Amino acid sequence: MSQLRIMGGTVYDPANGVSGDVRDVCIDDGRIVDSLPASAPRLDASGMVVMPGGVDIHSHVASGSVNLARRLLPEEHEADPAAAPALAGGDVARSGTGGTMPSTFTTGYRYAGLGYTTVFDAAVAPIMARTSHGELDDTPIVDAGFFVLMGNDEYLLRLIAAGERAQAREYAAWLLGAAGGYAIKVVNPGGVELWKRGARDRVGLDTPIGSERVTPRAILETLVEAANGLGLPHAAHIHCNDLGMAGNVATTLASMRAVEGRRTHFTHLQFHAYDAAPDGTRRSGARQLIEYMNADPRISGDVGQVMFGAATTLTADSAVEYLLHKSSGRRWVNVDIELETGCGVVPHTYKEKNAVSALQWVVGLELFLLAADPWRMVLSTDHPNGGSFMAYPELIRLLMDRAYRDSCLARVNQTLLAGSAMADGLAREYTLDEIAIVTRAGPARLLGLTRKGHLGPGADADVTVYAREADVSKMFATPRYVVKGGTLVVEEGQLRRAPRGQRLHVRPGYDTAVETPLREFFDRHSTVSFRNYPVGDLRDGALPVGRV
Amino acid sequence: MPVILSDVTCLGCGCACDDIRITVRDGRIVEAAQACDLGAAWFGDGSLPAEAAVDAVRTPMPAAIASAAGLVRAARRPLVYVAPGVTNETAREAVALADLLGAALDSVTSDTAMGAILAAQERGRASATLGEARQRADVVVWWGIDPSSRYPRYAERYAPLAHGIHTPDGRASRTVIAVDIGEAVSAADADRRFLLPVEDEVATLSVLRSLVSLPAADAIPHDGDPLRAAIWARARALAPALVSGRYVLVVADAEPAASDTSTTDAHMRLSALIALVQALNGPTRAALSLLRAGGNRSGVDAVLTSQTGFPAAVDFSRGAPRYRPYDGRASELAARGEVDAVIVVGYLDHVPPGVAAFVATVPSVVIGPDASAMTLGPRSVVIDTGLAGVHDAGTVLRLDDVPLPARAVLPGPPPAAAVVKALREALVEAMAGA
Repeated sequence: MSQLRIMGGTVYDPANGVSGDVRDVCIDDGRIVDSLPASAPRLDASGMVVMPGGVDIHSHVASGSVNLARRLLPEEHEADPAAAPALAGGDVARSGTGGTMPSTFTTGYRYAGLGYTTVFDAAVAPIMARTSHGELDDTPIVDAGFFVLMGNDEYLLRLIAAGERAQAREYAAWLLGAAGGYAIKVVNPGGVELWKRGARDRVGLDTPIGSERVTPRAILETLVEAANGLGLPHAAHIHCNDLGMAGNVATTLASMRAVEGRRTHFTHLQFHAYDAAPDGTRRSGARQLIEYMNADPRISGDVGQVMFGAATTLTADSAVEYLLHKSSGRRWVNVDIELETGCGVVPHTYKEKNAVSALQWVVGLELFLLAADPWRMVLSTDHPNGGSFMAYPELIRLLMDRAYRDSCLARVNQTLLAGSAMADGLAREYTLDEIAIVTRAGPARLLGLTRKGHLGPGADADVTVYAREADVSKMFATPRYVVKGGTLVVEEGQLRRAPRGQRLHVRPGYDTAVETPLREFFDRHSTVSFRNYPVGDLRDGALPVGRV
Repeated sequence: MPVILSDVTCLGCGCACDDIRITVRDGRIVEAAQACDLGAAWFGDGSLPAEAAVDAVRTPMPAAIASAAGLVRAARRPLVYVAPGVTNETAREAVALADLLGAALDSVTSDTAMGAILAAQERGRASATLGEARQRADVVVWWGIDPSSRYPRYAERYAPLAHGIHTPDGRASRTVIAVDIGEAVSAADADRRFLLPVEDEVATLSVLRSLVSLPAADAIPHDGDPLRAAIWARARALAPALVSGRYVLVVADAEPAASDTSTTDAHMRLSALIALVQALNGPTRAALSLLRAGGNRSGVDAVLTSQTGFPAAVDFSRGAPRYRPYDGRASELAARGEVDAVIVVGYLDHVPPGVAAFVATVPSVVIGPDASAMTLGPRSVVIDTGLAGVHDAGTVLRLDDVPLPARAVLPGPPPAAAVVKALREALVEAMAGA
């Protein structure tokens, strides 16, 4: 279908200042256009809500680590068989399985079924990048890419130790291109390397990582400078030290101060916003965090909301997973990944009656409800860590419906909630405009995706149409229509077409002098040859970066 | 003029060494430098037939594909069996075919490594990629394995011989502990050696786990029971060695020789071993390296997992994948006569004898290297393809799931992925027409 006029919907396109206006959205050859001939095919959206396709800035859907988690959860897959959707025109779709870690094809279908058309996997070890590309090839409909883990990379740490920050930036550029990634990811900078060395103490921002010159602070500074100096479309995407610990909001704030005034994205902030009560237990640190973020327009974040029910914790922050395994006694996968990072997986269940789960749920909602600027606080559950992406509609209801939220709050364990903003009462209710910002316009802007997250002329024709329902969770769970790249993929609530999505990646230029010592390092230490390490050319071309 | 290709990945075993230098002269591989004996055998001279046959009669490819589609459509309960020697790209096509057909889907894994998979699904696993073994392991424990015959370059490339960043003196930086389990004698080069009777292995692992995670367990009396006393005595001798390092690498074979043990036994052994290595991460850091044989077996497991949620023994007959790790393995389906046709994708020569024998008793389609050399019946379509990493390019996984490029070092028979895809497309067309 090359042309389509979506007629008479109530359009929420905050990037273009359109807020609930009744208007047509015109599509020609995969892009949004100003107008179409009267003869163009029409789709009646009167009375319905029209938004750009959703953009997930932080998810875990395609990696060797994701696949280890899939393998660990046969019982979840058994409980959620996913038959192949019946596509139009005799196209053959694929069956799969769901649960918190759905199979590849099912992941694509379910994201599209929610009206999400762009997804990023937030944690890929570059040595494992081929696996992510293979899985994304099997994840239909959504445009997708991934972030490349660099915060514990042996070669990068060596360059920092040698005071070679400029070379570190060139190396980061090389590594992004070699992996076919989209952005620089930092996970527990230096902390994973220390865990691999057997250290058990908490890592502070100035803890030496093998060398006095290498600290989490130095790693953060280096990679934030690299992302900005290379003109990458997305800022350095930072998972702070100290995830989950009581009092970690101090670490998070110190990390933000360390890179003050520079463009940065701090991820799944809910897991990093705990104050410590005098007795050492966790309590909400959301107010402190938000106060700082509200004042610094260069910082963005996503929430990593916890939703009650089954989840799978899955992170490169392997030290955290060991602690979770020890405290919950549940199955534990750990993989130390050579010269680069770690990987840990532990299934988890967030329970209303569990004091920590309840606090986490509250802290996440506080971050949403206290944030002054929705453009800088993106909706995420850190799928599947805080819960599945399938819980987004329920999360949207919690944000839009105070009465419902308060009724949920009344049910949860109150032990750790004293003094929290939620317990004191938060009246804010998100508007549809704000929902459109935190689920598409905001993340697209933060990712530097100029053709995503809006419906202006030239934008990719990724459009979601929702039929209004009294219960907004139902409305957002089953869009009536979804258009991806101009193709009508969901029709009358049914997935009908499953085109392949585009790979979103960058290939920044770099000083090729970086390759000579790097090759020597590979020859000496790597078990993969220098030549075999890069993924090579990808099917879709690289997106532009500031520095070519 | 000879052509020399460097950094070629070898699939002779799961080590997937990617430093092989292949010399091709007159269309034949004449040298595989760096390769071990297994690797040299894997590459061979690179010559393979490129034929297709229907019921042992040579047939042009398009007609063979059409016959294969007809044979498959006539089956009520087909099995798609992914054999070694395929790239991930081929495995992806094979799973798509099984999904389309509502077939049973399995691989050699269910006969060779299911115990390890079930144990890891029950407990998880504390592991590492092989480079971490190389960089960090200062204690290497061979748990009933001598890698020299089945994984010849493991010691040299990964541990204990390789020089790593935190083990700069290679072998001299490491303590090697050999644990012989009955007749499973571990590597000869060891600093210390322990012997466990086969029947005491699981009990010893359990006691070791208690000792390393809870030192007070040492005080538990064993009531003078001589058997238990012997187990505790062995465990007490071994435990201090296990916790003496900064980073302990325990190496075991996930695919011990077929005659070795039943899946149930392997499941129990590996479950106890996994639990021990997880527990070692209390007092020190530790990783379990489970070895897999050649032909991209880890890659096939990974593809089945990513596309279906399950690593092997999958059943699409109800329209979505189900996991049948106990009764849905190819060997079990064969024993019960549950399937009436088999589609093999990969090297039939490398599948367990029981499964290969079954393939010869039912209508079959074999798409793989040297397929035309197989004697099959009663009805069969065989289509020769290239071999992964020799003629077929793509992605393969090392035994630790690190992906590597498989290169085409020679032109050869048609790529297996393309043939499977052609069969699937022929089936889609036939089904649409029906």
